[in-house]
Amino acid sequence: MVERMVAEVLKNSKHVIDDAMEAVGQTKRVYGARLLVRGLLWGAVYVAARWLLESPIESRAARIGIALLPTPFMAWYLWTWFKGMSRMDELQRRIELEALAFAFPVSLVFLATLGLLDVAIALNPDDFSLRHTWLMLPMLYYMGLWKAQRRYQ
Amino acid sequence: MKNRLKVLRAERDWSQADLAERLSVSRQTINAIETEKYDPSLPLALKMGRLFDQCVEKIFLDTEQ
Repeated sequence: MVERMVAEVLKNSKHVIDDAMEAVGQTKRVYGARLLVRGLLWGAVYVAARWLLESPIESRAARIGIALLPTPFMAWYLWTWFKGMSRMDELQRRIELEALAFAFPVSLVFLATLGLLDVAIALNPDDFSLRHTWLMLPMLYYMGLWKAQRRYQ
Repeated sequence: MKNRLKVLRAERDWSQADLAERLSVSRQTINAIETEKYDPSLPLALKMGRLFDQCVEKIFLDTEQ
């Protein structure tokens, strides 16, 4: 029984890895290296901005400027992703739409609930501030993407 | 929707990737259509008809009739 369970887990893990490899392959076909390069660039600027903001910079204007620095890079990355959708075929576009159709309402539920919890019990800002919670949104998108990919395999 | 895509593809000895390239879609789309997980759009169905030189009704089988 344990062996069968282990075999089942390994089989499912292989499915997950195969799905991920298929998704990576499709991303490469649609975007080439563009999306990855622009994503890495945005990531690097974001990390640099976070690091700089941890240091004692007195000027409020400078701190705002640093905080806004990653924004154009993120916009450029998202614009690349959006433009790539026009190069996708009909099923790939449907999968993207289904991913967003999952992520958006679930994000709403998550953020609305978090907002009320914050009013109810004053959540620890070191754990639940915007700089942490925004990460849930792309995670939910990727969950939706995985779910939609599996549906059509 | 049931379809004869796999049969028509096999008659010409085409892989899913070959058919996908001829129709300008991904292999995933061909696989999803063949496994009846996805129904193609009208333009794609008509393209398939032209490729296989058959009318759409001969490729996609309306089981509700």
